[in-house]
Amino acid sequence: MTLLSEKVTQMMEWTSKRSVIRMNGDKFRRFVKAPPRNYSVVIMFTALQPQRQCGVCRQADEEFQVLANSWRYSSAFTNKVFFASVDFDEGSDVFQMLNMNSAPTFLHFPSKGKPRRSDTYELQVRGFAAEQLARWVADRTDVQIRVIRPPNYAGPLLLGFLLAVIGGLAYLRRNNLEFLFNKNCWAFSALCFVLIMTSGQMWNHIRGPPYAHKNPSTGQVSYIHGSSQAQFVAETHIVLLFNAAVTMGIVLLCEAATSDIDIGKRKIMCVAGMVLVMLFFSWLLSIFRAKYHGYPYSFLIN
Amino acid sequence: MAEPVTVSDNKHKSQVNSGASYSGNGRSSAAAAERSSGGSGSSSGAGAAGGGLSGGLTQPAGWQSLLSFTILFLAWLAGFSSRLFAVIRFESIIHEFDPWFNYRSTHYLSSNGFYEFLNWFDERAWYPLGRIVGGTVYPGLMVTAGLIHYVLNLLHITVHIRDVCVFLAPVFSGLTSISTFLLTRELWNQGAGLLAACFIAIVPGYISRSVAGSFDNEGIAIFALQFTFYLWVKSVKSGSVFWAIGCCLSYFYMVSAWGGYVFIINLIPLHVFVLLLMQRFSRRVYIAYSTFFIIGLVLSMQVPFVGFQPIRTSEHMAAAGVFVLLQVYAFLQYLKDRLTRQEFQTLFFLGVSLAAGVVFLSVIYLTYTGYIAPWSGRFYSLWDTAYAKIHIPIIASVSEHQPTTWVSFFFDLHILVCTFPAGLWFCIKNINDERVFVALYAISAVYFAGVMVRLMLTLTPVVCMLSAVAFSCVFEHYLGDDMKRQSPPAEDSSDEDDRKNAGNLYDKAGKVRKHVSEQEKAEEGLGPNVKSIVTMLMLMLLMMFAVHCTWVTSNAYSSPSVVLASYNHDGSRNILDDFREAYYWLRQNTEEHARVMSWWDYGYQIAGMANRTTLVDNNTWNNSHIALVGKAMSSNETAAYDIMRSLDVDYVLIIFGGVIGYSGDDINKFLWMVRIAEGEHPRDIRESDYFTPQGEFRVDKAGSPTLLNCLMYKMSYYRFGEMQLDFRTPPGFDRTRNAEIGNKDIKLKHLEEAFTSEHWLVRIYKVKKQENRDRVEHKLRSSNANKQKYTSKKTSKRKRGYIRNKLSLKKGKKLQKKFL
Repeated sequence: MTLLSEKVTQMMEWTSKRSVIRMNGDKFRRFVKAPPRNYSVVIMFTALQPQRQCGVCRQADEEFQVLANSWRYSSAFTNKVFFASVDFDEGSDVFQMLNMNSAPTFLHFPSKGKPRRSDTYELQVRGFAAEQLARWVADRTDVQIRVIRPPNYAGPLLLGFLLAVIGGLAYLRRNNLEFLFNKNCWAFSALCFVLIMTSGQMWNHIRGPPYAHKNPSTGQVSYIHGSSQAQFVAETHIVLLFNAAVTMGIVLLCEAATSDIDIGKRKIMCVAGMVLVMLFFSWLLSIFRAKYHGYPYSFLIN
Repeated sequence: MAEPVTVSDNKHKSQVNSGASYSGNGRSSAAAAERSSGGSGSSSGAGAAGGGLSGGLTQPAGWQSLLSFTILFLAWLAGFSSRLFAVIRFESIIHEFDPWFNYRSTHYLSSNGFYEFLNWFDERAWYPLGRIVGGTVYPGLMVTAGLIHYVLNLLHITVHIRDVCVFLAPVFSGLTSISTFLLTRELWNQGAGLLAACFIAIVPGYISRSVAGSFDNEGIAIFALQFTFYLWVKSVKSGSVFWAIGCCLSYFYMVSAWGGYVFIINLIPLHVFVLLLMQRFSRRVYIAYSTFFIIGLVLSMQVPFVGFQPIRTSEHMAAAGVFVLLQVYAFLQYLKDRLTRQEFQTLFFLGVSLAAGVVFLSVIYLTYTGYIAPWSGRFYSLWDTAYAKIHIPIIASVSEHQPTTWVSFFFDLHILVCTFPAGLWFCIKNINDERVFVALYAISAVYFAGVMVRLMLTLTPVVCMLSAVAFSCVFEHYLGDDMKRQSPPAEDSSDEDDRKNAGNLYDKAGKVRKHVSEQEKAEEGLGPNVKSIVTMLMLMLLMMFAVHCTWVTSNAYSSPSVVLASYNHDGSRNILDDFREAYYWLRQNTEEHARVMSWWDYGYQIAGMANRTTLVDNNTWNNSHIALVGKAMSSNETAAYDIMRSLDVDYVLIIFGGVIGYSGDDINKFLWMVRIAEGEHPRDIRESDYFTPQGEFRVDKAGSPTLLNCLMYKMSYYRFGEMQLDFRTPPGFDRTRNAEIGNKDIKLKHLEEAFTSEHWLVRIYKVKKQENRDRVEHKLRSSNANKQKYTSKKTSKRKRGYIRNKLSLKKGKKLQKKFL
């Protein structure tokens, strides 16, 4: 009994220093493996040393720290659950003992009995976001942890910096603020925004598709997704350009009819505008036709 | 039967479109008038060009208004008739899901009156909670349909309320195109207005929500939206209280019709704010906005469902903030006259920044202390695009809340999506107060449409308007050549006459010198050949647009989804009427107050068609209730039975598409049930349990055992293993998922199959009552003590005979006493 309370006190002391206890082989055997234990331990097995070149470990470690800190500083903190980590370079014997050959791995050692299958966190399926980890911990240990991320000051700071730069530039050029009243400038940026949206960049932002698909067997790269429900990033860029070309064609047609420059140039403009509209629209139509199966119409280009 | 209609529709459309493009020269006169009047952008339609000449068809004004009227009428007709595919192919029927609820409540409204409707407590929904319908719907749609029905009946035109509901959206599409015409005329000129009206009449992005039978809020809301914007632009231009009040009334109609009114109440303040930034503040803006804000606020609060939201939620705070800012700005403008320049400048910056700061801080403070509700999930997910995916599966699960691919932009808008940036360009290049508005409208709507497929609907009108501006710009310059007329692209000859006449007449009227010189210049520049080629190509594009719209409408947006159709190889058609068959079965064969459990998609249909009580429906206001149903569907039968008993479920209805290969069935939606259930009951339901270890969702033998034994799986595939659909496939082959099912031997213990429709699309199970006596599952325990091997008792000692199975008499009490 004294051994148990001694262990708990020791663990509490370590936790008060660092929310994630670093363990080596000896500590692991003594505090996790050895029997008198009434607390659960969630252990991350990882390889953080730079020579291991484990980028995922670093990200997972950050999330794990967030989780452990949320637990450590929450009002519900008890000595029932501890968070610890074992680095491969400090406790490779532990890795061998548990027959483990990949990092990072999250294991839960319940207060009673041996770890079961579900005590291994399914990293591939659930990812290593702190919220997911918290749900897993809650599932295994009955301890609800509300993940509190340290507020991210980077965004507002960057925004503030940007605003300051813009403001500074405006102040420096305060005698020369015509660009603010330049309609071309505003119209151009509005057009950019509209084209970005209509070419489905928002979908890319939310879904994160690959840039293009390379067929592993033939090595052929396809830039256009075969289904109408999805798209590649490359494809949206192509569509953006085509849309922009048609828009430019229309604008050129109008400019050709109204501007004051000499006739030859205007004729060239007019023909160019016409070609732009026709060529790129029919091209766009053919891409659409390739994606939307059963679409019957095409124009110029099949 | 549908074929000839398609053809005639095509013809209609192409006529209307080409008619609009012909009106190019009619328009150029209006444009010329506009230019001559200093480009104030206020050619008030046909009258301006006519210059107050007295009417008659000998005057251009008369011709112009006749032409505009004809084109608008044809646009209305084309829009109306191209929305009728579903009615002609199937019948006059309400579509999909939400319209069934709207229809049901309209029916209630028309039979019980308005006040009863406002007080209606619907005990047939959300059992056992019920739903206060009057306070939780936007009543505009029902009131509109009810009013039309009432008026028609007053005139002794006895139509059924269903027909009013079915044809409401197509009729309103005509009104939408007229209000789009009005708005575009205010923004650019009359010709662009006519083009825009034609575009919006047939553009698929709008048709998708307004085909006949799609009796939904959006059908009338787009009209209200466009009309409100028209009146707003009108009131900003004129600065009169009259138009502003009109704008408020239209806004009130919009608020009563659709939750999308939030778009208006944010866009208009944004417009005012940007005008302030651009130093375009004027008395007109001040009058328009002050009137609009106050009256609009008060009116919008009259809608029971909206109630106090306009002063208590974050979505409406921008409007109030801009209102305060505008007052401060106006006050400072007033002070400007009384103060010196230096004093004023300091005061101005101090005042404006102070006001902005105070407004901002007070909004934050009020939000923090809870007087103002923060952004609701649906709105929040518009800004933080990853929000819904993580936190609210029920929002993320709806297919129309997904982001938009470029294909759907192109599908819904075709050529317009490429040309409307050009219109935006022209608008910004020739900016004025109302074009600021349309630019903001375009930019914000295109953002929202990018985030959610559903909001394509708000983008569509502005795309039509701006594309019309672009096309009208081109036609204005390339058709405007009146002296040497190119041979017109062959079309209807009467139209051609109209055109020539209008053009000639215009020549007489158009005596503005500047215009003539411009014309000369244009003529010397681009020869008639180039012009005619450009014109022809543009007309070609428009024709392709019209053809595309008809094709899309006919193929993609005209399915009632209550009745399905499949086509054989020879082109003949099979109608699959399983849904109505099943709902009618429920209506006829179950007790009146029976409670039917189904996934929420089918709640409205069950209530509308079967008239039975449902647990959850498409209103989705109570996430935990839905999660409970999801939990029942995804648990095993015993656990599900407990939930179903606690919810008093009598029947369970599921949709199963495995027989005919219908992809929208419950097994395909099943993961969302699991996710939603997991959100509320993370201890009992885990999404990962329903996947194979490789992370796949499979229904065949390799599927996870949890899935193969959950209630939904069992109900879907009950006795399906005995069914061989085809000689090439094994029995129990699921056509939707192309897999042989993994659990063919399904026994149901607490449920029994009550009904399965012809194509197995709908399956209904009856939940058995609890047995009077719990049957013991396992065999009775037998001990070895009594069991002995039979040994013949005939030994040599006892030679008596022995009768097998001889009845043994037991002495008991007399039983007669009991019966006495």
